[in-house]
Amino acid sequence: MELTWNLIVTQILFGLALGAVYILMACGLTIIFGLLDVVNFAHGTFYMLGAFAAFVTISLFGNFWLGLAFSVIIVGLIGWITESYLIKPLYGKDPLYPLMLTFGFSVAVTDLMRAVFGTIGKIIPLPKIFAGSLMWEGIFIPRYRVFIIFLTLAVLIFLWYFLKKTNLGMIIRAATRDSLMVRTLGIDVPRIWTFGFALGVGLAGLAGGVNSTIVPALPDMGVEMTIECFVVVVIGGLGSLGGAILGGLIIGQVISFVSLLASDWSNVAIFLTMLCILLVRTRGLFGEAGRL
Amino acid sequence: MKKVSWIVATVFLVTLTISGTASAKPIAGLLFPISGPFSAMGTDMKQGTEIAIEEINAKGGVLGKKVEVMIGDDELKAPVALRKYKEMVDGEGIKVIGGTLSGGISVAVNEYACKNKVLYMAYCWTSMPLGKEFCGYGFVSGMIPYQGGVATARYAFKNLGKSWMIVTQDYRFGHDQLAAWMVTSEKMGGKFLGNIYSPMGTVDYSAHIPRIVATNPEILVFNVYGQSMDAFIKQIGEAGLHKGKMKFITPKSHLTTIKGVGAVYNENFYGAHSFYWTLQDKFPKAKAFVEAYGKKYGVPPSQDSEGGYTGTRALLEAMNVAKTTTDVDKLIKTLKGFKMDYNKGPEEFRACDHMRTTSMVIVRGIGAKQSGWNYGEVVAELPSTETLESCENNRKDVPYGNVKLPGK
Repeated sequence: MELTWNLIVTQILFGLALGAVYILMACGLTIIFGLLDVVNFAHGTFYMLGAFAAFVTISLFGNFWLGLAFSVIIVGLIGWITESYLIKPLYGKDPLYPLMLTFGFSVAVTDLMRAVFGTIGKIIPLPKIFAGSLMWEGIFIPRYRVFIIFLTLAVLIFLWYFLKKTNLGMIIRAATRDSLMVRTLGIDVPRIWTFGFALGVGLAGLAGGVNSTIVPALPDMGVEMTIECFVVVVIGGLGSLGGAILGGLIIGQVISFVSLLASDWSNVAIFLTMLCILLVRTRGLFGEAGRL
Repeated sequence: MKKVSWIVATVFLVTLTISGTASAKPIAGLLFPISGPFSAMGTDMKQGTEIAIEEINAKGGVLGKKVEVMIGDDELKAPVALRKYKEMVDGEGIKVIGGTLSGGISVAVNEYACKNKVLYMAYCWTSMPLGKEFCGYGFVSGMIPYQGGVATARYAFKNLGKSWMIVTQDYRFGHDQLAAWMVTSEKMGGKFLGNIYSPMGTVDYSAHIPRIVATNPEILVFNVYGQSMDAFIKQIGEAGLHKGKMKFITPKSHLTTIKGVGAVYNENFYGAHSFYWTLQDKFPKAKAFVEAYGKKYGVPPSQDSEGGYTGTRALLEAMNVAKTTTDVDKLIKTLKGFKMDYNKGPEEFRACDHMRTTSMVIVRGIGAKQSGWNYGEVVAELPSTETLESCENNRKDVPYGNVKLPGK
């Protein structure tokens, strides 16, 4: 197979689109860890819930944009409830407790979704506006993948603005560094944590909603995504948003090019990448806990 | 008080005895992957089985008794399948087992059946009759995997072009199809442009699409199954490739997939089916099966439904003919050369390798014209003489067993 420049550029673009979904997932996970010190093993489950929220909404109303919006809103609400009633009681206890709880939550919810929706994948049609590909000089990329890249960029800009320029964002950043001091100033820190958790899983829900037109929505679809998301976050460094973004970009390109050059290694490649990076930098690329 | 205790104890014992005799002993144990990535096909197989059981029961059952079978979920995992079959055989005294969707699992189950002298009817596409896998206790109501590859390759090279590329799910079934395509390509002057291996469970093929576009084959074989097939077709549609000149063909298609992906599955898509419901127009005996299945489940039967139906019906009829549900040797003797005319005209289980002699149909998509049960049109039917090797070749596992697969 000849590696022409337009094939390489096309592969890079596809890698960007793949990486974009991982960036959304990893940013969500990083916000939760950075703010709450909770390793959310159910992150992939929220991704799955986002896909199904989009599927149900689009099936009922026939509107893709509404589906995408509801994938964030519904999953954010579920996250709000989960943090308020399940995770909050475990704060201050051994960190293993919330980890085990989120793991149990993921198993229980996956089984519940299997019982409700069955085990046959739900397919959402691609909106007509995104049909086909953009082509130029032998380079091409499906319109929908371009949309994913720009949507992720928009989300990142929003996150940056929110965290850096708004009062609530400033409070969140302060709470990650010294929650006791923030509480002393009279701010309801537990409510900040709930909001942070909802925001984090809302991003996972958005990733699920975005991917729901590409892959069938399945109760088990979150399992592999949780693992891959953790790889991205570990590569980038736990607690670092910048690391989550870079990790997502790296993994997207690794999957893209390994699929091109040695496709049967594509499942293993991301773990090998993680191994190589950790051998050089044990905390990941930007690893420093509590930094947002 | 003592009198009351005696009455209670007597009633209790009588109830136990009656309930023991009222529930019949199961005469067969069947497993299908009701959960997992191939659950749609597994469910179809189970549903076809249930139609066959209802039919046999309506005609008086087996040996005058209503048919009772144990049906379970093998989760598409060999250890689970083997454990559950063992429980059925050891725990319930069952001597006849059947089902399974995965060819790989069927080979393991066949080995178990041979060691434990239990009759096994594989409903799936399986390599059981090939080479050293064949041991005499297994029968196949499905196909040998290479038949799908041969049928689609023969059709494709005659009608769609010569240059081809393939995306292969990296497991035995996928390898068998790849081997069939490579052998047929050499015989029919095909031009092989490359193979992409895709690990089991892959649902994002986007990273492979640039290579496919750059290679630009006339024919792209999507040798991926279950939810991977759904995802692959969706992503081909997402990239707009289904509107170009490339033709897409799969050695084993599925009705749920065609319906699910909708308009993307257009006239550029082809797939092999061992049964398609419109065959009832050619084979009137299929009408009853199609009607009963459609009435009960609201959808037409797929090839997996028909494989389940034929395998179950043949087993139960063989039990009536042999007048036994447990004498495995008698049942094997009855099934060898057993003639059937259920849904596709006269067929039989070949005596030499226990393979069902059945045809393969190629169904082309109809895109946005899909409505009701109308998902595609049959464009060719290849008889078993064009796809099934001789018993001698199967015994030696030639020619498909000798193919050096790319990258393996």
